[in-house]
Amino acid sequence: MKKYISLFLLLFLATAAVSVAQSDNISPARKQAIDSLALEKVKDLSKYISIIGSKETQFSEANRVMDRAEELFAPGAEMGVSSLNRKEIAYYKVRRYFERLMALNYDRVNITWYDIHYISDLERQPDGRYVGVVTVYQRFEGTSLESGLNYRDTTKKDITIYVEKKQTQIAGRTIEFWDVMLGDIRVTETSA
Amino acid sequence: MRKLILSVFLLIFTLEMAPGQGLYSPGSPKDDGRFAASTKQVNQFFRRFNAEESVDGSQRYYNGDALFRDRELRGKFISILFDNETSGISNELKKEFMTEVLSEVMPQYINFHREGWFAEVQSIFTYRGKRENVTLFLKIQPEGLGYEWVIDKVVFQPFKEIFNKPQGESKGFLHPLSHELGFMNLRKAFQDSDTPEAFTPKEYQPDYLTLFLYEMKRGNIKFETIMDVKFHFFQINNWYFELNQFNRPGFNTGWLISNLVKLKPGDKETLLRYIYDQK
Repeated sequence: MKKYISLFLLLFLATAAVSVAQSDNISPARKQAIDSLALEKVKDLSKYISIIGSKETQFSEANRVMDRAEELFAPGAEMGVSSLNRKEIAYYKVRRYFERLMALNYDRVNITWYDIHYISDLERQPDGRYVGVVTVYQRFEGTSLESGLNYRDTTKKDITIYVEKKQTQIAGRTIEFWDVMLGDIRVTETSA
Repeated sequence: MRKLILSVFLLIFTLEMAPGQGLYSPGSPKDDGRFAASTKQVNQFFRRFNAEESVDGSQRYYNGDALFRDRELRGKFISILFDNETSGISNELKKEFMTEVLSEVMPQYINFHREGWFAEVQSIFTYRGKRENVTLFLKIQPEGLGYEWVIDKVVFQPFKEIFNKPQGESKGFLHPLSHELGFMNLRKAFQDSDTPEAFTPKEYQPDYLTLFLYEMKRGNIKFETIMDVKFHFFQINNWYFELNQFNRPGFNTGWLISNLVKLKPGDKETLLRYIYDQK
């Protein structure tokens, strides 16, 4: 537990800014700190997805993890899924995507993540928020004991991140910090 | 409060019980180099083309960094940005392109915010209950505090079939003294003709985007899904290239140049007409 609290504090402090008058432009150093925070959120999501998909996770537990996972996302976020055989995108609300993942008809499911990621530049939107994309790769293995069938795929996940400068009051002082929320995710099956 | 603490504890307990399953966990499968080699985002295509990131993509180079836009690094990057499996771009053409882009005197770069590139999106809409292919062209423009993608043009076959201006003898016309009759013969033009576009100027072009939006507002067109996306680039002087995504085994994957054309005077306009009309 201590590990998680200290990690949270470290990330919070790393992205906190003490001056209100600071410019809205993102310096390379700030970008690096935001990248780290974004990657932490993606790591959290990857772990949640692995837990939700696992057949060893109890129903009530999976629901709780889904709640936590949903909290990572901006409202209205969607997953757009396509496969090698079906190029058109199927759209799911994030919660629905998790529920479908949980309900997959396998006896054993193992979801792991490749040791690689790519983080785009941050671009400013008309509303002043910044947007970026983090790309990660996921391996899915499902086993059906009765039929002895194994299904395996590798998907590329392009995850939208929204970056926004927020303010909070601590002991009468205004503290600014950069917050990261996840947005729409494009899921593409790869030939790997 | 107790419930909350219990929930948090259970969640953390669950996370602890699931080792090796998140990103960069001890059990993560190793990339054999294929994903690293792949140009994973259009953003990475820009950075590689300009040599604005490290070879493995983990470090962004900024103006002032030693390797920012380094000519040698650029050369290596650009040479892997071509589709080498299906597009058949000759080595001579690639070499000529690279020589111009990597010129020591006047190197050329691509820029996300600059005009001269746009997206072509193959999509499916339902039009009066029937699934139809629609090609949308999007461009990026400044707006408010930042930028946005906007729909610039649309190609929609049912509209193209409606507007078919007759040519030659079959074309109806309003005779040159119609004004003396107070244009009473417009009745014939509009009631007896199923091609009223015959009575428009030579330069008339139907505005398909306005029609498309109108039909959407009327509820006759509904978005279904996206099928494919590619990009057209005219940012390099006298050159055009097309960027497509290649999802296949191997190391030559991701966003790659699939078509490269050296442009002579007037070619750009011809090519644009071709792209927009899908001829």
